[in-house]
Amino acid sequence: MMIGKELNDINIRMPEDAYDIGNHVPTFNAYLIAVVKDSEGKIIKVHKQKSHSPTANFIGLFLPLSYFSTNNVSFTITNVTGGTCTYKPGLGGSPQDIAYPNTAYNHNTYIVMIQVGSGQQSNPYTATALAAPIANGSGAGQLVYQPVTPPSTITINGNTAYFYITQTYNNLSGGTITITEVGIILELQVTTYTNTASTNCGNILVWYDVLSSPISVPNAGSVTIYYTFVVNP
Amino acid sequence: MVTPDLVSGEDIAKLIIPDDLPDGQPTLTAYIEAKIYDKEGHVIQYHRQPMRSPTQWLLALMAIPLIGTYSSSSSNQAPSFLVNVLGLPSQVNSYLFESYNSANISWDFSIQLGSGTQAFNPTLNSLAAPIANGSGAGQLSYGTVTVTYSGTTIYTYVTVINYSSTTINVTEIGLMATIYVQFQNSNNAYQVNKYTYLLTYDTFSPAITLPPGAIATFKVAISFSG
Repeated sequence: MMIGKELNDINIRMPEDAYDIGNHVPTFNAYLIAVVKDSEGKIIKVHKQKSHSPTANFIGLFLPLSYFSTNNVSFTITNVTGGTCTYKPGLGGSPQDIAYPNTAYNHNTYIVMIQVGSGQQSNPYTATALAAPIANGSGAGQLVYQPVTPPSTITINGNTAYFYITQTYNNLSGGTITITEVGIILELQVTTYTNTASTNCGNILVWYDVLSSPISVPNAGSVTIYYTFVVNP
Repeated sequence: MVTPDLVSGEDIAKLIIPDDLPDGQPTLTAYIEAKIYDKEGHVIQYHRQPMRSPTQWLLALMAIPLIGTYSSSSSNQAPSFLVNVLGLPSQVNSYLFESYNSANISWDFSIQLGSGTQAFNPTLNSLAAPIANGSGAGQLSYGTVTVTYSGTTIYTYVTVINYSSTTINVTEIGLMATIYVQFQNSNNAYQVNKYTYLLTYDTFSPAITLPPGAIATFKVAISFSG
């Protein structure tokens, strides 16, 4: 019996016959949409593209307990400044899991922003920060970041279900700002439930895309980014 | 101006789920694989098919690493998404003693097999006829779940054995998730709240057949890179 060997026989690539093609629509998609407005609030460009790019940080956080327990491994989270922290969730008093709101001691883990940038990098999976983040402000080369709006629910229409995250940026810099990269930044803190140990992993990049074409935001204009995640579109 | 201004929710919906992008691989692809061995270890059936039916719960679980567990940097409440969609508490009542104690969240995957079928909808949260864990009639003995990953692909495996004296037909499969919220409760006792969700649902046609003594390995692979 070679069951164990079968379990170790990991396919590195998705087998060709497992792709959902032919008569079936894709089962899951993510989209990156950007709506650019001029100084009068008129839409001057709508940018649409598919998003394909969870980062290694996202995959590490999405992995279930069984991965960590049966393999006795941890995952190294890398934050936007290059710092690292060890993530090894579990049940019981010792493991440090993602903090959860409570009436005692809190370690806030929350979406910080959809960050935009003017650089690019070829491998989104290994990206831990934007190549050239555009700072929040009204100086040259900066954009004023409005608060990020996380989803409050999932919208269902037939077999389609989706949610989206959105954020708007105003250009008060005095010149045109060009965006070429976008990413979702999460502030991550892990803790034991007894609070005997906790770690602030800092800001981490969990989703990253290079735009298929640059977006130019005119002076006094704005751009709104929508990240949409949808099943059975 | 290339389009009129966005004035309604319908406009937004059309915008954020575009139908005019070129076809291509979806962001997530997934497949299910089953290998069945007889009692002597010979492969007697091999089956692989695309996974076609992610539920809203997969989306919801994915949202946690994207939006986090707190509604902001200064709030001690969970995002309304976690409350409204996943049914998680906005806050747990941790034992307060010199501000000691906290709370945390984690999740695990499992594979559930079933012998029924049902129409898919994204709110499904269970199989039509789950096959119970055991050695009795109509039952399968579920082994430990194994999870591995490579790049953006996550593989979940389970091996089941038919210890019963009759053949068992598997016609449905679901990737399940259990979320754990653990904390020291107001009575200063350890408490873990569990919430279970069906992440994906698919059916087998024809059925996967497990004769008495058969061993089967089921694998669900989900790839976020398309």
